[in-house]
Amino acid sequence: MNWLQRQIRPEQIRELSLLALIVVAVVFFGSMIDGYYSFRTFNRISSSVAIITVVAVGQTLVVLTRNIDLSVGSIVGFTAYFVGTLIAHHKGLNPFLAVAISIALGAALGVVNGLLVAWGRVPAVVVTLGTLAIYRGVLVDLSGAKTVTTDSLPQWLVNLPTLNVLPIGALDVRALFAAALVIVIIFQFGVTYLSFARRFYAIGSNPEAAQLIGLPMKGIILLAFVISGALAGLAGFMTLARYGNITVEAGRGLELNVVAAVVVGGVNVFGGSGRVTGAMLGAIMIGTLEQSLFRLGISEFWRDALLGLLILLAVASDSVILQRLRLLWARTELKFVQPVEAGAPRS
Amino acid sequence: MNPAALLKRWETLLLAVLIAIVAINVLESRYYLSVGNFINLFQLSIEKSLVALAMALVIIGGDIDLSVASVMGLAACVMAWLFQQGAPLPLAILLALGAGVLAGLNNAFWIAYVGLPSLAVTLAGLIGYRGVARILVEDRAIGGFPLWFNTLGQQALVGPLTAAIVIFLFFFVVFVIVLHGSAFGRLVYVIGSNIQAARYSGVRIGLVKTALFVGSAGVAALAGILYAARLGSVRGDTADGFELDIITTVLLGGVSIFGGKGNLVGVGLSLLVILNLRNGMGLADITGNTQNYVIGGLLILSVLIPNMSLEIRNKWRGRET
Amino acid sequence: MKKHLMSVAAFAVLSLLPQAVSAQVATATPGKAVSMVLLPKFLGILPFDQAHQGAEEAAKELKNPTALQFLGPTPQNSVAGQIEIVTNAATQGVKAIMLSNNSGDQIVPAAKAAQAKGAKMVTWDSPIPSSDGEDVFVAQVDFGDIGKVMADMSLNIIGADGGKFAILSASPDASNQNAWIAAMKTALKDPKYAKLNLVDTVYGNDESEKSYTQAQALVDKYPDLKLIMAPTSVGIVAAAKAMQDEKLCDKVKISGLGLPSEMLAYTKNGCAPQFALWSFIDLGYLAYYTSYMLATDAMKAAEGVKFKAGRMGEYTITKDPTRAKGLRILMGPFTVYNKDNVEAAAK
Repeated sequence: MNWLQRQIRPEQIRELSLLALIVVAVVFFGSMIDGYYSFRTFNRISSSVAIITVVAVGQTLVVLTRNIDLSVGSIVGFTAYFVGTLIAHHKGLNPFLAVAISIALGAALGVVNGLLVAWGRVPAVVVTLGTLAIYRGVLVDLSGAKTVTTDSLPQWLVNLPTLNVLPIGALDVRALFAAALVIVIIFQFGVTYLSFARRFYAIGSNPEAAQLIGLPMKGIILLAFVISGALAGLAGFMTLARYGNITVEAGRGLELNVVAAVVVGGVNVFGGSGRVTGAMLGAIMIGTLEQSLFRLGISEFWRDALLGLLILLAVASDSVILQRLRLLWARTELKFVQPVEAGAPRS
Repeated sequence: MNPAALLKRWETLLLAVLIAIVAINVLESRYYLSVGNFINLFQLSIEKSLVALAMALVIIGGDIDLSVASVMGLAACVMAWLFQQGAPLPLAILLALGAGVLAGLNNAFWIAYVGLPSLAVTLAGLIGYRGVARILVEDRAIGGFPLWFNTLGQQALVGPLTAAIVIFLFFFVVFVIVLHGSAFGRLVYVIGSNIQAARYSGVRIGLVKTALFVGSAGVAALAGILYAARLGSVRGDTADGFELDIITTVLLGGVSIFGGKGNLVGVGLSLLVILNLRNGMGLADITGNTQNYVIGGLLILSVLIPNMSLEIRNKWRGRET
Repeated sequence: MKKHLMSVAAFAVLSLLPQAVSAQVATATPGKAVSMVLLPKFLGILPFDQAHQGAEEAAKELKNPTALQFLGPTPQNSVAGQIEIVTNAATQGVKAIMLSNNSGDQIVPAAKAAQAKGAKMVTWDSPIPSSDGEDVFVAQVDFGDIGKVMADMSLNIIGADGGKFAILSASPDASNQNAWIAAMKTALKDPKYAKLNLVDTVYGNDESEKSYTQAQALVDKYPDLKLIMAPTSVGIVAAAKAMQDEKLCDKVKISGLGLPSEMLAYTKNGCAPQFALWSFIDLGYLAYYTSYMLATDAMKAAEGVKFKAGRMGEYTITKDPTRAKGLRILMGPFTVYNKDNVEAAAK
C-alpha cells in the first residue's frame, strides 16, 4: 500500500473513484429495476454514450489548454448534414472516404476556431459562442429545410449502428461504441506517452511559464481545436449513422452534454489537469444516470430534476473523495521523509 | 483621462458600433424611428437584459451562472402553480421570488462552501431547476392571471415605459452603484482578478460569492415573473435557453470571462447594440437564424479587430508582441 | 295606407336581405397589394416548407404584387421568436399574419396588439388555444377526427386481441399535439377500443435524437409494447429507425402522422404499416386565400360566412367545436397511407 501510494498520486486514480461511483449507481438502479443487469442495458448506455465520448475526448484536449469549445454541437450537426446529403447524392461513395470527409470537414471548422483563439487572441468562449451560431446559421441557410432521410442513404450506413464488431458471447460490442473506445485508447496513450502531448498540460497549468520556456503556444492551441473539430466531425458521421434522419437541428445542445461529461470526468475547467479516460467515465456516468432514470418509470417530468441533482452529487462526492485521498496521501508521505542530520553525508 | 486612452477603450468601440447600427436601421426601415418601435425593441428582450446585469457581476467575480434561465422558468412556474392552487397572486409572486433566492442559496452553498467549480454546479442547476419547473407545470399552460398583472406586464406605466423597463432602469442604477461605487463592488473585482490575494487579505470570499449567486438567482426569478406578466401565460419551457444570449451580451460588453475586468457601461452599451441590431434585422425581415450568426460574428469581430489593430500598430512601431 | 304598404314592403325586402347576404359566396378580388407574413412554428422542416409552397401558389393566382414574407424563428427560440416576428410585423403595418402557433396563449398580447394595428391574425395548423387575438383558425382536419383516426389506426395495427401502446409526441407544450392526444384519449373510451391499453406518453421535442432515445426507452420499459403512435413528423421517423435498429419491427409497429416522402422506406418494409397526414401545401394555399380575403375586406371573419378559395372550392367559417370559443375553417380530408399508396404520394 505504501509503495502504491508512492507511485501514484490521488489525481491519477481519480478515475477509480468515478468508476466506483458508476458501480454504486449501477447497483442502486439494478436493485430498483427489473432486468436491469442485461446486455440490452449495456447496449443502451454504450450507444448513447459513444457519440458524446468521442466529442468529449476532443473537448478534454481543448480544456486542458485552458480553453473551451462550445461550437462542437454545430460542428456535429454541420458534418452530419453535409456528409449525409453528399452520400445521398453519391450512393457509391466509399465508406472510408465518407468518414475521412467528415473528419476533414470538422477539422477545417476547428481550424477557424483555433486561428481565432491562438492568433486573434480572442478568448475561446467568445470565439466558440460565435462559431456555434455561425456554423449552425450557415447550415440552416444553405440546407433549404430539407431533411436527410434514411431511404436516401446506402444500406451499409443504415446498418452501421447495429453492426456487431466484437461479439463476446451474448454481449454485443457495437461499431459505434467500439469506435469510441478506440478513440479514447488512442488519445489516452498518446497524451500519456507522447512527450509532445504533455505540452497541452503545460500550457493549461501555467501559460506564462510555458511561454517562457519557448513552447509553441499558438501551434498547440490550434492543434487542440483542430483535434476537437476533427473528432466532432467524426461524431457527426456517427450521428448520421445512428439516427439516419438528420434535420438542420442535429447536434443542437450537444455542447452542454459534452461539457457536463468533461466536468463530471474531473477535467479541471481552469486547465492543466484531467484525463481523456476521465471524460469518458464522465460521459458514462451521465449516460447511466439518464438511461436508468428512463427505465425507472419515473414520470417524464421528474427526470430532469433528478438528473440535475445526481450530476451535482456526482461532482460533489467526487470532489470530497479526492480531498480525502489527498489527505490520506499527505499523511503517509510524511512518513517517508527521513530526518537528515546536519552535516551528514547525503546518501 | 486623456482622450487617446478614452478612444482605445472597449466602450468607445461599442458606441461606434451602436451609432453605425442605428444609422443603418434608420436608412433601412421607415418604421424604426418611432416611440412604439423603441419600446418594443426593449420590451422583447427586457427580461434577458435585466438578468444580464446580474450575470455581469457574477462573471466579473470570476464565476459563471448557467442556471439563470432555468431559475426564470422555475419562478414563473412556481408562481403560476401556486396561483392555480388558489393562492392570491401577490403571495404567489412573493413565494416565487423566494424560490429564486433558495435556488441561489443552493448554488452558493456548493460553490462557496463546498468549493465545487461554478460551471459544474450551475450546469446541474440548469438541468435540475428546469426539471422542478416541469414537475409543477407538466404539459399544461397556466394563464388566466388577473387583469392588473397582465396590464402591468404589457401596458405602459410611466409615460410610454412599461413596468419592466422601469424596473430594469432601477436595477441598472442599483447595480452601477453597487459595482462601481461600493466596497462590495471592489471586493467583487478583487475576487475576480486574484482570488488568492483576496483570500490572504482576509476577504470573506464565501459571503461575497453567496451574495453574487443569490443576487443572480433573485434577479432571474424577478425576470421570470416579469416575463410571465408580459406573455400572460406560463409553460414548462418558459425562458428555455436564454442563458446563451445573456452570456453573449455580457461578453460583448467587455467583461472578461476570466473575471476581474469589465464594467456596466460596457454591458449597457452591449445591450443597446444587440437590441438595436436585432430590431433592425427584424424590421428588414431577416430571420432569427441569420440574426444569431450576425451577432455571433459581431461578438468575434468585436474582440478580433481591436486585437489585430493593436498588433499592427505595435509591429509598425517595431515592438514585439 | 300607401305609407303603411311602403313600410311593409320595405320591411319585407329588408328581412330578406340577411338571407341573401349569407347565401352569397364571397370571392377574392385579385391584384390587390396586401403585405402578408407566413409564420410557421419554426423554420427548417419540410411540412412548413410545403405550406410555404402552397401559399406562394395562392399568391401567384391572386396576383398580389406585394411578395409574401416567409419568416420563422429557430426551434429552440420558437416562442420568443414568434412573439418578436408578430410584434415587428405589426410595426411594419403588415395586413395579415398567418401563424402556425407554437406559443400557446403566450402570443395573445402580441397578437392582440397586431390586430389593434390593423392586421388580420389567421392561424393554421396550430391555433391560439384561447382564440384571443385570432381572427380565424384554418384547421387541416377536425382535431376530434384526428383522435379517431389515430385510434382506428391503432386498432387496425394491434388487432382485435388488443395490447399495449404508447404515444411519442413532440413538445409537451405543443397545443395542437396536445389537443390531438386528448381527442385520441376521448375516442379510446368507446368500447370498440376497450382492449387497447395506452401505457405512456413521452415527448421527443421534435428532435430526432431525443425522439429516437424515447422510442428505445419505451420498448425497454414495456417489453410487450405493440405500437408507438407518434403524431409528429420528426418523431414518427425517429421511432421507426429506432425499431428498425433494434430489429423489433415485427413486434413493435409505428404509426402516427408523417410525411410520405420521409416514411417511404419504413412503410415498405413493414415497420410503419399505416400512418396519416393531410396536405400541407393545401393548408398553406387555403390559409393564404383566407388571409387575403379578410385583409381585402372581401369577407368578414364571422360565423356562417362562405367563401371560395381558388382551386380548393368552397368553405364556410363555423364555430370551432374543439375549443371554448373561436372560429374555424375546416380543410380536410385526411389521407391514410399504407404500402399501396405511399410511393405515389412520396413523389
